[in-house]
Amino acid sequence: MLDLVIRDGLIVDGSGLPARRGDVAVVGGRIVSVGGRAGEARRVIDATGRVVAPGFIDPHTHYDAQLCFDPYAFPAIEHGVTTVVPGNCSLSLAPLRIDQRDAFSRMFRLIEEMPEAAFDAGVDWRWGEGFGGWLDALTGNLALNVAPLVGHSVLRMFVMGPDAQARAATAEEIGAMADLLRTCLDAGAVGLSTSFVDIDESYRPVPSRWAAPEELDALSAVLGERDAILQIVHEFFDTDLTIARIEQLAELSLRHGITTTLSPLFHSDANHRGVMRVMEAIESARARGAAVWPQVQTRPIDISFTLDQRSLMLLTMPTWWKVASIRDRNDKLAAVADQRQALVDEMNGLALRPNAGLGAGGFVVRDVVHQRNDDLIGRSIDDIARDRGTTHGDTIVDLALDEDLGTWFIRASIGHQNSQAVGELLAHPYVHLGASDGGAHVGSFSTFGDTGYLFSEFVRTTKSLSLEAAVKKITLDPAQIWKLRGRGLLSAGYAADVVVFDADTIGRGPEIASDDFPGDGLRWIRRQEGVDTVVVNGEVTWSAVDGYVAGARAGEIATRS
Amino acid sequence: MGRRQYVFPQAGDDLAAIAARELPSTEHGAQQLLSWNLHLAARAGLGRSGGLLPSDIVFTEPPPAASTP
Repeated sequence: MLDLVIRDGLIVDGSGLPARRGDVAVVGGRIVSVGGRAGEARRVIDATGRVVAPGFIDPHTHYDAQLCFDPYAFPAIEHGVTTVVPGNCSLSLAPLRIDQRDAFSRMFRLIEEMPEAAFDAGVDWRWGEGFGGWLDALTGNLALNVAPLVGHSVLRMFVMGPDAQARAATAEEIGAMADLLRTCLDAGAVGLSTSFVDIDESYRPVPSRWAAPEELDALSAVLGERDAILQIVHEFFDTDLTIARIEQLAELSLRHGITTTLSPLFHSDANHRGVMRVMEAIESARARGAAVWPQVQTRPIDISFTLDQRSLMLLTMPTWWKVASIRDRNDKLAAVADQRQALVDEMNGLALRPNAGLGAGGFVVRDVVHQRNDDLIGRSIDDIARDRGTTHGDTIVDLALDEDLGTWFIRASIGHQNSQAVGELLAHPYVHLGASDGGAHVGSFSTFGDTGYLFSEFVRTTKSLSLEAAVKKITLDPAQIWKLRGRGLLSAGYAADVVVFDADTIGRGPEIASDDFPGDGLRWIRRQEGVDTVVVNGEVTWSAVDGYVAGARAGEIATRS
Repeated sequence: MGRRQYVFPQAGDDLAAIAARELPSTEHGAQQLLSWNLHLAARAGLGRSGGLLPSDIVFTEPPPAASTP
């Protein structure tokens, strides 16, 4: 008797080969047959008229903190995601010394925009200090699979203490970091992540940025020993710097035989030639035999913000950042009134920057508190300012003050919105589909539903990819790039990570505010559209009929091949 | 179109030291480098202590000319 049969679906197995009709049979968390007619099973899922595909793999996430209090990484699973890679961009929750938790937490919360209350309520540090302890704490309490990276910044902090953000490492310290990295990889890390761009809450470069090239080279040698991957977040806002990092990665890849990936790579109509130059550099690296994978996300870029909480959007405006950081509501309102002119000036200054989008109606009122302001929802700040005869900055600050800072604004169409051009990028054989940032930036934008958007926008609308090619991009391709053993393919012996969806309706759903995180504050999420069932290691974990299955904990720490 | 020439800082380097090594015949070499490296010029504190990070990329030639149609 089989445990599970997904009956009579359109099987898109992850290989990119043409879809075919048939059954997928599962025993004990593994696929035992694909295609044809399977026998009787304890549970049968009717997939007639639906696609049956491997579970989706999300290679760029920051679920590190969320996984501590939410084994489902809600709502990732309902979008068909069955494996996530946390620990990107040099930041992982381990290894970390007890007395470094506070400094690290402030850094993580700032960079990944995780609310302090949610982080503190959810992350209990029960695992102690080591990377293996963190994985032990997760094991048995996961509804989806986790393929964790270890962060370069925390390796430096662990070995160098406060000097991690003050100087290059000595040879002895580099040796200690290499040993620590070996320990983490042997415990289950799939690779190392590093950052060349991030800053902490004091505007200081994160520890990984203080590493000399020799240090990264030594750590890459360890990755080569263990056949593990190197992920970087690079200076993605600058074409020449991006190309230089690609060359650096290519050298590391060739010297140590490692796979490398950089994220994100965005398309911009204002810099189309720059994106083409980046892809030429990737092709040049590949021609030399280097494995360098740029990660490209599917969704266009937009950022929502309010004066009520810190946001990526406010980072370059010191007064806005300072005001949004104040916790006490009365103090915050008083500060806004006191700093009003500075707030107005900073916002108007932003309007003068090239491509700021303000004059083009790029800033829009997203939601209001008072009914009397309902007619402003959806209107651009440019439009409202013209009506009122005020500046853009005055308009935003006045409206926020009128609503006790509760107004939500959105800066839309920042980039990556040319679907034709993005579609061509996504279809490129050297492009790795990823960079969702899942679990991060929760108050700025939703990081959920990128996979649904892949199908709705780039398969159905622009037709940039076939259904089979799109599935391959988020299943077997990432499984091979990240060397995730036995995942990403519907084939006998592979893990039974399966998603059943409707190819005609799968989408990302509207972006909605949710107060489900611990503590106060909202986050932006998207609920699935067109997904029927998600199976993780043979266990039905979510379905459109029953929702999230209580107690489903079939997720594993994904292992490297 | 190829990549721009660049170097990584060596231990103790500031832009003047890099300019002396990479642009030995250039007058005002440090200023020249700064003008070619907006990402460094924009960083607070650069003028005070050298300001370079060990992982920094320092371009030693100007940005490419615009491509011809």
